[in-house]
Amino acid sequence: MRNFLIFSIFIVSTHSLFAQQTKMNAQEIAAFKTQVETSSQSTQTIKSDFVQYKHLDFLDNDIKTSGKLVFKAPGLVKWEYTDPYTYSVIFKGDELLINDSGTKSKVDIGSSKMFKKLNQLIVNSVKGNMFDDTDFDITYLKTPTSNKAIFIPKDKKLIAYIASFELLFNKKDATVEEVKMIEPSEDYTRIVFKNRELNTPIDDAVFSN
Amino acid sequence: MRFLVINLILLLFCSSCSLKTTEGLRSVGVKSSEITNPYFSNQQTDYVYKAKIDVYGRYFGGILIIKKIGKDAHRVVFTTEFGSKLFDFLYEGDTFTKNYILEDLDRKLVVNTLRNDFKLLITEKIEVVEQFTSNKWEVYRSDYGKRFGFYFFKQNSEVLEKIVYTSKTKEKLEINFEASDSIAEMITIVHQNIKLNIDLAYLKKD
Repeated sequence: MRNFLIFSIFIVSTHSLFAQQTKMNAQEIAAFKTQVETSSQSTQTIKSDFVQYKHLDFLDNDIKTSGKLVFKAPGLVKWEYTDPYTYSVIFKGDELLINDSGTKSKVDIGSSKMFKKLNQLIVNSVKGNMFDDTDFDITYLKTPTSNKAIFIPKDKKLIAYIASFELLFNKKDATVEEVKMIEPSEDYTRIVFKNRELNTPIDDAVFSN
Repeated sequence: MRFLVINLILLLFCSSCSLKTTEGLRSVGVKSSEITNPYFSNQQTDYVYKAKIDVYGRYFGGILIIKKIGKDAHRVVFTTEFGSKLFDFLYEGDTFTKNYILEDLDRKLVVNTLRNDFKLLITEKIEVVEQFTSNKWEVYRSDYGKRFGFYFFKQNSEVLEKIVYTSKTKEKLEINFEASDSIAEMITIVHQNIKLNIDLAYLKKD
């Protein structure tokens, strides 16, 4: 009997866990988009810590790396890993400035449409403002504490790299809490943001190698 | 005089055809018919490395993940720092499967080079056909078709320090290990015939 009870509680609780995530209706989608756009427009700078989990189905543990993100409107992004190695990428116009623990290099992405799209995706996902129906099929979901948008690329080339892209938003201030990139093989990269600071002054010098 | 000339020619000929790898080594009878490369042999370990690759002066980085997934099987996956896969290889005994490779990298020369490099890196049980010795090294030769693999173990410590991959007359590739407790913490893969170097640094768990 006791086992049955525990089992029932388990079933009910997992059921409610799944039930927590529901699709938004048209009105909710419109309100959510407006909220993200307003928040995105008022965001001039972002500083945040992040933890990245790389999941590969054959590994015992996800590969955990962490670092700092700096964003300055309209499109400057510095993505810096500090543990367990130091590596940074600066997204600046048509260039990627890379510093791999002292080895510096520059990649011109101007000629690659594909890279431009990926770059745009990264910049926009930091802000959360990427609800473009022409490039993605988008599904909007809600839970009691957060909103979630799932993006499936329409571009056949892009879909070979990223099967889908998920952004998890804080319900109160519409900031991005988590990014998940799922590969066609179902392996994924999950990035969790924490200690976010909005609109603190950031010098342009941060975005040079 | 004639002898001298013949000797000189012979000397020249031989020095150009013999391998530098075996210079200063004394061939002895095969004492161990099989040796082990211990570095990727534990199925419970996720071997994760920060990789730096220099190919003809063009440099790029990433994460190399090696996992033993069966008695005689390994997965070798290379991703960018952001986590997107660049290639995903499966080795099962002598069978090789290319699970995935980025379209831009999917060239025969690139695939074959990477396939061969990582095969040499992960192969665990090695059949010995010749054994050499010196003050510093105990060296075991294995045959891979027309190619040779020379496995250098430090004398007395029995630690595998390098693998030299050669044709009959020329060195093709060298893999160096800096190890502690069966984990190769630093690995360098250096090609002699093409300008390709791969440096790997083991990422410690917290």
